[in-house]
Amino acid sequence: MASKKKRMLAVTAGALLASTVLAACGSGDDDKKSEGAGETGGTLYFNVEKPIDHWDPQRTYVGTDISKQSRLVYRELVTFGTSEDAVESAKPLPDLATDTGTASDGGKVWQFTLRDGVKWEDGSDITCEDLKYGLSRNFATDVIVGGPAFYILSYLDIPADADGTPQYKGPYTKKGQDLFDKAVTCDGKTITYNFNKPWPDFNLAIAALHFASPYRAEKDQGDKSNYSVFSSGPYKLEGTWEKESGGTFVRNPEYDKATDDTDSRNALPDKIVFKMGTKLETTYDAILANKGDAACTVSDNRLPPSKFSEIPNVQDRYQNPDSPYADYLWFNTKKLPLEVRQALAMATNREGWIAAGGGERAYTPAYSVVNPAVAGYKEVPTYKDIPLAGDPDAAKKILDEAGIKTPYKIEIRYPQSETADKQAAALKDTWDKAGFTVTLSPEGDVYYSNIQKPDHNYDVGWAGWGADWPSPMTVLPPLFDSRANIQGGSLGQDYGKYEGKAFNDKITEAQNATDLDTQITLLQEADQILADDMVYMPLEIAKFNWVTGKNVDFHTTPGSNSFPDLGLIGLRNGGC
Amino acid sequence: MTLPATDLDTHVGPPVGESEPEAGTAIVGRSPMQLAMRRFRKDKLSMFAFSVVVLYFLAAVLAPFLVKFGVLDPYTFHNTGAGSLLDEFTLPKGSWGGISGDHWLGVEPGTGRDVLARVWYGVTFSLVMAIAATIISVGLGTVFGIIAGVSGGFVDSAIGRLIDLVLSFPSTLMLLALSSLFIDILVHDIHVPEGDVANGTYVVLVLGFFGWPYVARLVRGQVLSIREREFVEAAKLMGASRFRLYFKEILPNLWAPLLVSATITMPTYISAEAALNYLGVGIKPPTPTLGNVLSGSIDYSTSDFVFFFMPAFLIMIIVVSFNLLGDGLRDALDPKGHR
Repeated sequence: MASKKKRMLAVTAGALLASTVLAACGSGDDDKKSEGAGETGGTLYFNVEKPIDHWDPQRTYVGTDISKQSRLVYRELVTFGTSEDAVESAKPLPDLATDTGTASDGGKVWQFTLRDGVKWEDGSDITCEDLKYGLSRNFATDVIVGGPAFYILSYLDIPADADGTPQYKGPYTKKGQDLFDKAVTCDGKTITYNFNKPWPDFNLAIAALHFASPYRAEKDQGDKSNYSVFSSGPYKLEGTWEKESGGTFVRNPEYDKATDDTDSRNALPDKIVFKMGTKLETTYDAILANKGDAACTVSDNRLPPSKFSEIPNVQDRYQNPDSPYADYLWFNTKKLPLEVRQALAMATNREGWIAAGGGERAYTPAYSVVNPAVAGYKEVPTYKDIPLAGDPDAAKKILDEAGIKTPYKIEIRYPQSETADKQAAALKDTWDKAGFTVTLSPEGDVYYSNIQKPDHNYDVGWAGWGADWPSPMTVLPPLFDSRANIQGGSLGQDYGKYEGKAFNDKITEAQNATDLDTQITLLQEADQILADDMVYMPLEIAKFNWVTGKNVDFHTTPGSNSFPDLGLIGLRNGGC
Repeated sequence: MTLPATDLDTHVGPPVGESEPEAGTAIVGRSPMQLAMRRFRKDKLSMFAFSVVVLYFLAAVLAPFLVKFGVLDPYTFHNTGAGSLLDEFTLPKGSWGGISGDHWLGVEPGTGRDVLARVWYGVTFSLVMAIAATIISVGLGTVFGIIAGVSGGFVDSAIGRLIDLVLSFPSTLMLLALSSLFIDILVHDIHVPEGDVANGTYVVLVLGFFGWPYVARLVRGQVLSIREREFVEAAKLMGASRFRLYFKEILPNLWAPLLVSATITMPTYISAEAALNYLGVGIKPPTPTLGNVLSGSIDYSTSDFVFFFMPAFLIMIIVVSFNLLGDGLRDALDPKGHR
């Protein structure tokens, strides 16, 4: 779940005055208790602040949307369960497949067999051909954009063109179709994937993302299908999805619970209504006050820090899980000398940043860009040695010893929000003391596309990332491997333009490792190389703050990426 | 032909033959200006508003020096470690928004920055912007108003349509949508320094540009009555140039309505700056303006009311004062227009 589209801190400009009146006279109405398990039935309201980008499984790459789709409408060969335990929840469960897949040839060949009786919402069977067609859509890189296609593009055993892209160009042009048909084969209900290098945790990738989701060929209209939902799960879309206002999901009668022995889809509410366009503060003012539909409302935008003081009043419907993301600062390695980067890192006030963003309820300090929940996580000593509040004096010394003239001008870029402004000002505070002259340059919605421009001349900026599946392989290479990132008109996720030969070599070594333990050790060494080159400075691990209406039996699990878990959430007290 | 200097004497001074006024009740000749000043001074409410406005201006002038010498510190954080002024919710410790001897108006939630320093320094930036925008709109409005009023005919109706056009323009929407484009132009083509200066300049230009039609209409109306007066006719007959007609004959007679309209325009720009900042246009934090301090405080309206209240209160006071001052000036300068 790349956090490419993650809204920084999920706090935008403040609530309207009118809405705050609600909260002020709120939380009366205590005749119903906010305890008890969810029951079957009722209508659940799900508020999202800004339009959802995609419902197309192959194009979805945002953590919360992946989880919504898995729980409601799209079944996968394997999926993640609802265990609260981090280790248990990172194990794939057989879903459409009879087991979790069989690897052979050192992880280069994977086989899955479809189970009987699994159906689409129109009653037809889900076939091996559907799986194959879904996978083929990833190769139409001009139509199916936005998704995590690059994994399958680099792994599937298809010869590459001169420009390094696979010779197969997707199901719309059918160019190189025979190559694809050779790499992915169907034998009755059994599908076989052939890779060009070992992919020891391929089944984790299927469970975590939707690039391998089955897709019915005749339902595919390319880009026009972006918001269509052809369901294999317990719900189906009623009518159409409206980009600006949302849509309603109702029960899918063709879904047979008997074919689903995961614990991922309790499917308690009869109806799930997605609403959007309401400001975050307004949504939460209503939820805190429990008025009307708000008592049955869930949101996947975090409670803003300005409302944290309400938490003691709603303790019984409040959850504070660690998120799978880590936030970090990237440095422009082509512009700033190493000593300047080191001095910036040394003077980085993580504590001030965290406090300005809501304190320990909102973040814990980070010592690597890898989230602690990822298998093989290791604190990087370099970042552990930098005091949490930063050390401007030590930073000044680094600059002086390197003979760098101060004041040194630095511009920091980040997506604008009231909270982010304060956080960036906290960095400025200590950086200025260390001999920098810092300017804040907040940006709007196009933040990520700007810092991906190859000719950008920015000094330092914020970014956030979460592992796509619980492996550091989905963190360091997608962020810092120049070969995978910097190409054509984009820097990919390598915003700091880092090109490190030693690092890239380590990654190659890790990619070719056949067992996961060796791979993890190599990646830990790669992370240390990044710290020595001071390519990034980890800031914090975001924590989520969820408050829901009192009639919602709320759950969040690692399997739902710590977002609301629609597989478990139900309504109590008879709903709304 | 020049009037002989001695002849002037016949116009002033007591008429010959009339008895001298009694001692103690001397009738002193007073200019309209002096009369207006007398009326204004007698109006207690206006005088009070005037002193508040003066106080704001003094504060605005002083603030940069106080910041420079460290008396006011709008930038230092107090949110970490033992010196943190914030509680576990990152709200100010203590009641009343963390008001203490060191922080007279409390501290900002999340950062622990001094609220007094931020709003005080904010007044400086807000006033500078409001004054600059007022100068632009009153300046443009006066020029267009005089030209329209004196010329009449085609020019008048052309300017009239232009005014209608500008007024019917969806200005707020456009200025939000075009902000990044125009700020880019300001920075790259006109070489205005990026950041606060460019952002502030944009707001000033936009407010000034969309504000002039109101002034122009007012001025045109005044000019229509002035242009029929004898001294204008005389100047025309003597072959005065257009420029002289506009700016030497007519303009001096407009200062009273212009002063009033500037005084009434100023406060609307102060609130407009705040509103625009909330919508994302204007000087960005950490540099404080009344607008961005206010928009940063809106989320805390329930959890930290004092913090929310302070910038709103300061804006309210100055807007009310300016309006009262404007009313007072109008009453004093135009005694016929009593309410």
